[in-house]
Amino acid sequence: MMRGTGPLLAAVTGLWAVIVLVSRVLTQPPMSPVTTIVAGVLITDLLIVGYGSTLRGPRQSRRARRPRPRRPRLRRPPHAEDGGPDAQPRPEGLTDEVVDQAVALLLPLLDGDAVSITDHHRMLAFAGPGHEHHARGSPLHARTRDSVLHTGRTGVVWGRGEDLLGCPLPDCPLRSAAIAALSVGDEIIGSVTVYRTTDDPPRAELVEAAAGILSLHLEVAELESRQRLATDAELDALRAQINPHFLFNTLNTIASRIRTEPEDARQLLVRLADFFRYAIRQRGQFVDFSQEYAFVRTYVTLEQARFGDRLHVEYDIDPAVLSVDVPVLMIQPLVENAIKHGASGNVGRTTVRLRVRVAPLARLLEVTVRDDGVGMDEATLAAVAAGERLEDARGVGLTNIRQRLTLLFGAQHEFDVRSTEGEGTTVHLRLPMG
Amino acid sequence: MSRLESGAADHSRPDEFDAPAEVAAVARTQRRIALGYGLLFVLAIFAAPVLSLTLPWWSGARLAGGMSPGFVAAAGGLYVFFLAFAIAVASLARSVEVRMLGTSQEEDPLP
Amino acid sequence: MSGLDAASLAALGVVATLVSVLAWQRTRATTVDYFLAGRRVGMITNAGAICGDYLSAASFLGVAAAVYASGVDGVWYATGFAAGFVPVLLFVAAPLRRLGSVSLPDFLAVRFGSDRVRLAAVVAVELVILSYLVPQAVGSGLTWELLVGEGIAGLSPYATGIAVATVAVSVIVIIGGMRGTTWNQALQFGFLLAVVIWLSALLWAGGFSYPQAVEQASAAPLQAVEGEELVEVVDRIDGGSATFGEPGARYGPMGQLALLVTLVLGTAGLPHVMNRYFTTASGTAARTTTVWVLGLTGSFYALAVMLGTATRVLVVEHADEPWLAELTVDGVLRVPEHALLVLGRLLADTPGMAVVAAAAFAAMVSTIGGLLLAASASFGHDVVARILRPHGSPRQPVRAGQVAVVVMSVLAAAVALAVQPSQLLATFPSLIATMVTWAFALAGSALTPVVLLGIWWPDATARGAAAGIWAGCAVAVGALLTGLMTGADPSDGLGAVLLAPALVAAPISALTIVVVSRLDPAPGVSVAVWTRLHGTARDRRTERLARVTLRARR
Repeated sequence: MMRGTGPLLAAVTGLWAVIVLVSRVLTQPPMSPVTTIVAGVLITDLLIVGYGSTLRGPRQSRRARRPRPRRPRLRRPPHAEDGGPDAQPRPEGLTDEVVDQAVALLLPLLDGDAVSITDHHRMLAFAGPGHEHHARGSPLHARTRDSVLHTGRTGVVWGRGEDLLGCPLPDCPLRSAAIAALSVGDEIIGSVTVYRTTDDPPRAELVEAAAGILSLHLEVAELESRQRLATDAELDALRAQINPHFLFNTLNTIASRIRTEPEDARQLLVRLADFFRYAIRQRGQFVDFSQEYAFVRTYVTLEQARFGDRLHVEYDIDPAVLSVDVPVLMIQPLVENAIKHGASGNVGRTTVRLRVRVAPLARLLEVTVRDDGVGMDEATLAAVAAGERLEDARGVGLTNIRQRLTLLFGAQHEFDVRSTEGEGTTVHLRLPMG
Repeated sequence: MSRLESGAADHSRPDEFDAPAEVAAVARTQRRIALGYGLLFVLAIFAAPVLSLTLPWWSGARLAGGMSPGFVAAAGGLYVFFLAFAIAVASLARSVEVRMLGTSQEEDPLP
Repeated sequence: MSGLDAASLAALGVVATLVSVLAWQRTRATTVDYFLAGRRVGMITNAGAICGDYLSAASFLGVAAAVYASGVDGVWYATGFAAGFVPVLLFVAAPLRRLGSVSLPDFLAVRFGSDRVRLAAVVAVELVILSYLVPQAVGSGLTWELLVGEGIAGLSPYATGIAVATVAVSVIVIIGGMRGTTWNQALQFGFLLAVVIWLSALLWAGGFSYPQAVEQASAAPLQAVEGEELVEVVDRIDGGSATFGEPGARYGPMGQLALLVTLVLGTAGLPHVMNRYFTTASGTAARTTTVWVLGLTGSFYALAVMLGTATRVLVVEHADEPWLAELTVDGVLRVPEHALLVLGRLLADTPGMAVVAAAAFAAMVSTIGGLLLAASASFGHDVVARILRPHGSPRQPVRAGQVAVVVMSVLAAAVALAVQPSQLLATFPSLIATMVTWAFALAGSALTPVVLLGIWWPDATARGAAAGIWAGCAVAVGALLTGLMTGADPSDGLGAVLLAPALVAAPISALTIVVVSRLDPAPGVSVAVWTRLHGTARDRRTERLARVTLRARR
């Protein structure tokens, strides 16, 4: 029996029992049978109409339902005890070149005076005042960093004393810092630190965000180096999500605002980190709709920063949808597609509409993403509809989604794309409810 | 309502902000809820006097002592209904708000 | 009046004054502080204060009187009063708070970005307040008349009651500002609830059975006093004579409908009640407060209705006692408003009546206080501070508000004096409750539509809003005056609609807003205002700050 039928049956039976009891047994004089029937039918109708809202289940606050962020555990390097400083193998992707570039890039972005990247024992790269005595290979001093490397929680340090920043050189200009952990998968492999020459430390959130992005890069590099099969769905999904153009464009937008609207830029950076955290840390195939919706909103905020008035997004969300389970990373790619192909080719203003509806009795979820951008020509449309991968990655996101839908639901779903060149595209999804 | 969705969010107050499109969406959703439940409320509260006019049983039968169903509803039943209704509506509105606004970032970064 | 009665009244007065004085010492006379108690009022206290504002003489004496006089139809008064908060919860509570204003006109002015709307709203608000003040004054007069029986300084007892209530409360409001009144009101509501529970307990202890009382009361046709004779009340639904337990004693179908619509719509437009929403901590807190209010008022009204029923039965049983014989004709009270006072005496002798009288005064005092404060807030903040002298010192609006308090109380007292309760009682068996309904009608017609549409329809413009307020006012006032002057029958048909005009005036007002806004080329709400109205960013920020502060303290 379908889930949810049980309670409905029980409710209907119970109500009829009550109606009959009240109208014919308990009261004198008893009501006529006609009245009983009318009342019963009316109340049953009301129940059917309102049943959808009862299906939603217990309403818990967002905080209660959030999956606890996993604390990366410490990876004890195999030769930490007996080996020298070189015993620990360097993770892929953390080449000298890369770390130097990274600290140079991060320095202006994070509004600090100096930036460093370390592994568990040594400095790997340093940029900014103090670089003479904190160069690559030099030992680490800050005690707080130990706890950061151990627990993964970001730490903030004020002061130069032995228990704090701990730099032994008396004329070292650095006075405060924020330290965030770098991790690959579950393991902490190092830290990112931003320093200031004043007593006012940099904002922990930002450093954490930057560390998150860097961690992401490392994760991809490591996956690639392990040479997984190209058809591995996880890698595929990962690739589909880490659209390098998106990352590049967004970082560009942020960088261009750093001087004129610094607070703006910082917020965007934080949202970018949110975005990747969600994209990467998903386990399992389904997620609460409100989380996916939050992800879509984060994404749209980032794109809105880039497009400004050229992009206009509307959401139309049925309240009943909010606690339904949806396949993870399924809705945001549709919106991303609409923005990428609809809006970026369009000179004027593009409107993207996301509509999500649920039909409780048929237990269906309907998602529609409509844009009034450039649309697709017939050939492309036919190809996408047929599920082909196109060379210019035009339909990659959509193909990916179709494959996942087939994997998850078999034939029980509907997916169609309609498009008119110059007028826009509509993608329509119909799924069984989780 | 489309005019209300445009524009990037106002970042002048850093830590928490709402993008206009998000707010427009939540307003739309809340309006739908409010109107739906409002209709239910109207039906419930006007059902009683309407019943008293159309259904002789409503004022004629006696549930306890001299109290007809109409009397019980007006003198006590409806108050209970209002309270239960209010609790349901308030928690639904709150839950929609929480799920449709705000980002997922909630962990306090300070150690 | 015995020594005990005087003592209880005096005690009440002392408590009220003490609280005001304490509040005054902590009051800084800036506008926001004077009017809003610095936003730090606790949720349940606020809910209690809202109830204190709301449960005026109409709810306390008036509901019991209505039930006494009209049976089930009177019960619907109470139900309608309580029901008014449900639309508030559904449509108004959270967005109202989120916009962060100080008063209803201020809220409307911010939403519509227009001082024209502010002005229209202020006029409507002052009218509503005046029409709500008058029945409170009438109630004070009637209570004093019954309790004390003598006037002061050559005034009639009725006039003295009015004078004492209005003067005393004006003084309290001027000295204490909002903080004093909030605590006063919460306490006074607590007192009211306690009295009602106490009377109910006494009833039950004396072997009262609610169902049986209803049966007894319905056994014979309902009777009322006209002049010196008993007359059977006409059943307006089925013809013939009305009985206690069945509808029709007061209203025909149209009358019932009109009354219900008026009461349900009116609450959202009552300025003194809605002002308290601006002191809640967040949008969510506003909703929760409303839920509390519904629970508290529901309990209160359910008990009050029971007390009215009990009075109907008990008065007949004790009609031959000398003091009661004066007030009744053949076992039926002349003035239904005396019902609760009489019940008090029946259950607990003179102290009982004194306590009920004190509670009645408390109800009236707290409501008058809230009303006067709302009047002063509107005039001081909205007219003087915003429109007339936007660059004046912060004390000016406060002074202007105090002037408004005096003016309003004088006006209300004057109208109450002009009203001859004995004459009106024939047409309006539960006088106070009826007069309060007129206030609800005004609020529901002039203010509720614009508030609702302002919150939920982004295309409503300033011109539309102003037009809607004027239309609602005009239709409602016009209908009421027409009804009163032509002596229309309030129980059914056209008369009912004239005297509870929200059924007609509110849709007209709403329609006006829609049509004028549609035709108006000006844009609707600004993005910034809409985002504040429906977004929770500010509340989330406050919550987050509160959490960080807590964590930092540990």
